[in-house]
Amino acid sequence: MGMIVDTDVHCGVSKQRMLDFLPEPWRTRVADGSDGPGHLGYWNPNGVNRRDAVTPDGRRIEGDPQTLAQYHFDHYNIDYGILNAGGVHVGLSPEPDFAAAYCSAMNDVYVNDWLTADERFRYSMIVSPADPALAAGEIHRLGDHPGVVQVLMPSGAQYGYGHRFYHPIYEAAEAQGLPVAIHPGSEGRGVSGAPSSAGYPGSYFEWHSNLVGSYIAHMISLVAEGVFNKYPGLKFVLIEGGVSWLPPVLWRLDKNWKSLRMTVPWLDRPPGEIACEHILLTTQPIEEPDNIAWLHAMLGMFPADRMLMFSTDFPHWDGDTPDFAMRLLPAHLRDAVMWETACRLYRLPVPEHA
Amino acid sequence: MPERRLHAVAPLGELPPGSRKIVDVDGRSIGLFNVHGQIIAVLNVCPHELAPVCLGRWSGTTTPAPPGQFNWGREGEILRCPWHGWEFDLLSGDCLTDRRRLRRFPTRVADGQVYVDLSPGARA
Repeated sequence: MGMIVDTDVHCGVSKQRMLDFLPEPWRTRVADGSDGPGHLGYWNPNGVNRRDAVTPDGRRIEGDPQTLAQYHFDHYNIDYGILNAGGVHVGLSPEPDFAAAYCSAMNDVYVNDWLTADERFRYSMIVSPADPALAAGEIHRLGDHPGVVQVLMPSGAQYGYGHRFYHPIYEAAEAQGLPVAIHPGSEGRGVSGAPSSAGYPGSYFEWHSNLVGSYIAHMISLVAEGVFNKYPGLKFVLIEGGVSWLPPVLWRLDKNWKSLRMTVPWLDRPPGEIACEHILLTTQPIEEPDNIAWLHAMLGMFPADRMLMFSTDFPHWDGDTPDFAMRLLPAHLRDAVMWETACRLYRLPVPEHA
Repeated sequence: MPERRLHAVAPLGELPPGSRKIVDVDGRSIGLFNVHGQIIAVLNVCPHELAPVCLGRWSGTTTPAPPGQFNWGREGEILRCPWHGWEFDLLSGDCLTDRRRLRRFPTRVADGQVYVDLSPGARA
């Protein structure tokens, strides 16, 4: 039979509803229209949300739980979906107290309005990495909720996420049994600095193509700075950061470790091995080489059967549908990628017929 | 029984503890290291890219430790290849990060002379 777990779904949360959960002075601030760090204003002519993702009577599909359930989950036979809040970008605000309050209010909206609406919904609670102690407090506040299955941060960042500054977040997530994930889109926002290691891209096309850079940097940082030695129970999910870059980066890590182990003595075995035990990736936007055999060869160069999870990124402009992804995947990986790994990671109940 | 090819390579007096000497034996470059009083003979070829491994830094290294901690140990036992920094344990020939090992030869000291055994198949 098989199942489908969509590990990257986005919802539309109204600002008005956010205000119900925001304490003062942040309620006044957001009501006035000041709701976080700005972005660089690159032009994506597709828009962020798909133009066609509307119901026959003209409502946005992601705009409320029932329409999302009907037009995305029912339509594609999705058994579970992980809701990832776009508000995570506020974590690049230079105002740590505001960012933390904003994240908490967003989390409250999801817990109250979305997790209660459909049993297929699961939620990645958002935290601001700007103040790891506040983030850890938020993780403990909500980490026991059965619908909260992950901690989400922006992939734009001030430091590589292996930096010890962030370790309180990982300590809390590990204690709550939650994976930590990052989602792109904030590169260049707020305090994140230039969106690429070569500075400022000159178009949305260039910016978007460069997003893999922050993912590579974060993965290397997490392994090199010993996060997984310190928090051996922690899993880290790279959402929407590309897949095909992974094998050569693993090879490079292992090669460099043979030369430079002395500088990272906590890495007592090949770092690529450590990465493969703790890192997971989501599929969308899966690379589409001219020859499908190249994609399949790449998927044989790392343990894709336990590291790769299907995602649509619905309703964003660059999404992949379940049937499209299934056609691209080699048959022997389909079950693992489409649902098995996600069910294991997020502890999703699997019915006997699956 | 094959003939043992014992070569006198240096007077022991020229190899006090902590010193090294590169010698040429039968056309092969061999590094002699006095590690804590034990003479170690190493083929001067790195098993990785064939670099002159015996010319590398010879010291201790950082031993396994939790993140953020640096403990120094194995002083005088670790040879780092000058090309890529691969670390080799002179006492075992093992690389700390790879399966490939140093080629070492048996040594013996007699009458104040260091001998290296280059017999076919001889392994330290």
